[in-house]
Amino acid sequence: MTMSIIQVTGTGKSFANDRTPFYGVRVPTEIKTMIKPLSKLDKNIFRKILVLIVTAIEGKEVEYKQLKELESKDFSEEVLSIIYSGLLKLLQNALRVPLESLKQELFKEDLHELQIPEDFQTDLASVVFGNRRSTIDRVSILSRPRLPQIDCLKWRVDVGISTSVLNRVLEPTVLMEMTLSDGNIHTFEVPVSKFHELRYNVAFVLKEMEDLEQRNVLKIKD
Amino acid sequence: MQRLHLKDERTFSEEEEEKLQQTLGIDGPELELVLQTLEFLLQQAAYHAAKPAVLSQQLTQLELEQAKVEAIVSVWTTNGRDVLQKLRQQTLHPSQLEDINWRLNLQIAQSSVSKQKLPNAMFELGVRDSEEGVGKKKIRVEFTHSELYQFYNQLEMIQKQLDGLS
Repeated sequence: MTMSIIQVTGTGKSFANDRTPFYGVRVPTEIKTMIKPLSKLDKNIFRKILVLIVTAIEGKEVEYKQLKELESKDFSEEVLSIIYSGLLKLLQNALRVPLESLKQELFKEDLHELQIPEDFQTDLASVVFGNRRSTIDRVSILSRPRLPQIDCLKWRVDVGISTSVLNRVLEPTVLMEMTLSDGNIHTFEVPVSKFHELRYNVAFVLKEMEDLEQRNVLKIKD
Repeated sequence: MQRLHLKDERTFSEEEEEKLQQTLGIDGPELELVLQTLEFLLQQAAYHAAKPAVLSQQLTQLELEQAKVEAIVSVWTTNGRDVLQKLRQQTLHPSQLEDINWRLNLQIAQSSVSKQKLPNAMFELGVRDSEEGVGKKKIRVEFTHSELYQFYNQLEMIQKQLDGLS
């Protein structure tokens, strides 16, 4: 089977300002490749493919056989894969942009420039601007790369009464057992002076963070 | 006195011991006895947190020369408090928290999202292990604002316990 890559050109309509489309300066290959087969696609199958893609974006597992099931005499699994990749890329690009920065009309304009059928434009817009969006955003943030976090902190305060070298000690120590999200468990003693240092530093960083959140609302422009 | 709180260490190096022998006009075994006796007396004084007056009285009872009693008591009076402090803080636990370092970052993007303003803090806790050859372990942890606040609350609970002790 041969594939033809269409040159996606503008419809001749001029933009009000020199705006970069939501997918970037150049049309990604996956999107270019899917335009022709997409124009022939039946709306039902389009919707089913879209459901699979949204499931994947929300972080749940999608099996290849679920896509293969949609195969028909008009649409081989190869063509379906091309459409899946193209739509996935398109949505990933759109979802990258914060909601405040992408207006629905402009999004639809860009889709129009890509020669996406109008019918499909509405469905795509509802993924980006509809009520699933908050779930998608939450999953995106949760899936970012991170250093381990403290899953569980157990602690103990002991007061030494006496030792082999000292009859009366009466000195407190703090024992900590930290279970991290990578599974490691660290147990260590914190001398009282170090504990004060730790507490001070944590409070300091907390304050700095709060200042940062205040300041930064004013300084960093979108 | 300075070395009293250190376990398993000889107070003087070999060279120093030789010099001492010459200065004091005594030989090896005698020096050994003198040093051990002094160490013992001071360790006992530490164990019982002896007051200088009591120490003086008890040393005299042992029939030590007055000059020597005075020497020992004077050293104890000057340095006793510090030694007791150090001994109190001695611990049997193998791992101690030694260093606390941190970094505050503002995440502006990730592969799936652009244009963010997500603050996060990274802490690096240096834990010294007293076991041979293990060196210092570095525990690296990350916190969002709410995660750090949670951690802070736990530290506050511990502080309340410590406050309750005094």
